[in-house]
Amino acid sequence: MKKILQLTLGIVTSVGGFLEIGSVATAAQAGALFGYKLLWAILLGTICLIFLVEMSGRLAAVSKHTIVEATRERFGFPFFSAVMLGMVLVAFLVLVAELGGIGLSLQILTGLGFRWWAVPVSLAVWLLMWKGTFSLIENGASLLGLVTVSFVVAAVKMHPEWGSVAHGLIPTVPGDQKAKYGFVAVSILGASISPYLMYFYSSGAIEDKWDTSYIPMNRIIAGFGMTFGGFLSMAVLIAAALAFQPRGISVEKFEQAALLMTPALTHWGFYLFALAMLFACLGAALEISLSIAYFFAQGLGWSWSEDLTPSRDSRFSFVYTAIILVAAVPLILGVDPMKVTMLSMALTAATLPLAIVPFLILMNDPSYLGGHRNGWISNSVVAIVILISFVLAVISIPLQIIGG
Amino acid sequence: MRLKGFLAGPLLFLIACKQPTTAEKLDSVRSWLETAGMAADAWMHHTTPDRYTRQTLELSQKTLAQLAADLRKSPTPGIDTALLDTVLTRSGARLTEMARLVQTRNSPGLRGQLDSLRAEEAIIRRLADAAAPPE
Repeated sequence: MKKILQLTLGIVTSVGGFLEIGSVATAAQAGALFGYKLLWAILLGTICLIFLVEMSGRLAAVSKHTIVEATRERFGFPFFSAVMLGMVLVAFLVLVAELGGIGLSLQILTGLGFRWWAVPVSLAVWLLMWKGTFSLIENGASLLGLVTVSFVVAAVKMHPEWGSVAHGLIPTVPGDQKAKYGFVAVSILGASISPYLMYFYSSGAIEDKWDTSYIPMNRIIAGFGMTFGGFLSMAVLIAAALAFQPRGISVEKFEQAALLMTPALTHWGFYLFALAMLFACLGAALEISLSIAYFFAQGLGWSWSEDLTPSRDSRFSFVYTAIILVAAVPLILGVDPMKVTMLSMALTAATLPLAIVPFLILMNDPSYLGGHRNGWISNSVVAIVILISFVLAVISIPLQIIGG
Repeated sequence: MRLKGFLAGPLLFLIACKQPTTAEKLDSVRSWLETAGMAADAWMHHTTPDRYTRQTLELSQKTLAQLAADLRKSPTPGIDTALLDTVLTRSGARLTEMARLVQTRNSPGLRGQLDSLRAEEAIIRRLADAAAPPE
């Protein structure tokens, strides 16, 4: 009975915690610019994420190691340092974007500019981290994030042509705007395959004391949770294709995205969008702050657990305190969170090999996984998607930067 | 020397390829005029709050001003620049007026401005089509 409850909660929280500013911004921009043509990128990213999340849970359940601990142990500190530098830098940018997303949600709700919200939002996130437990962060914010299901309602109410939607699941190359298409595709992949989610999930499995009996449950949570989450991203893209593309609106700013659900749900759509973004970004900001702290603590051998009081894991608590406060600075200075979001998502895609290649080696190491090693399907799917993301990123990021 | 050429060639090619064209800039102008129109329309149907609508109209006006300055710097052959300039100036003033009408909650006045904005947006669309390179 306890496991059924855990399973249900696991799926529900995976769905509620799936969307964040990156997935919403990239899907909205894709729909506005290219209609349904980039649905395949969400599908590809979601399939890859299902495999990666399942692997993260399996590694923790079998080896009792988090990804970070196992990476450091298996590859040594110098290599681990390079991975840590890359991952922490990208995760920091994503954190800035998420805090900005909370600020922008509050801006559209209250009219007070997001810069004014930077400090109160950062303090609120820090306070939740300081006082909260792992279960509060994992479940609380994700349950609130279920308001994102309203994107599905809006998309269905806008009566998309389902044949065209299905056609969008097959990759095509557009006649023009190829660089932009590639950049948005890369950003979608970066938003879907977020390495911080793997670090958070494997650390969570250790916090929850998973053993091999959790392997079937892990598979179901990863499969169902991420699949339903992927549907939410697709719903955002479909709604944007219907609300914005016929009008020629390209989503460059969050204020434009706020109109996404108004054609279908009128004033409810406006407020549901703001609340959905508020909770989704809050959940993501908590998870990223925690993931960065996990990265430092597990990599440098400190004591760590969100369930311990800050006095018992002071260095762990110091890391998230410092990182949250520093992340508020660019927002106070007025850096556009939407631009940070698109850049951080594309950089996430570009740095994926750094995170995923060592992880795949670990997942094939019998000394960690024994008989629970990866099969050829998992290895192939993840390797192919990471290769596609990397190649697209290497080509489209310079083009996009040069093109302004 | 050879290495410099090797690096500079592709870079120049990328720069030449990817500077935003006049058509792309005009698409951006159109996107912001449509955003303003959508926000104003939503406000008239009591879908969006006053402050958000006013701020979105102000943001549209500000972005339009930047795009207009950019377009004036690099006139494109084949485009009626005098017409473009007039439309951009008029639209900018209209967006400022629309933000004021939202503040004073003047819905009928906003309706009239919105109709004119749509007409200007249609002109921008025509100019963007004229500026687009042939397929």
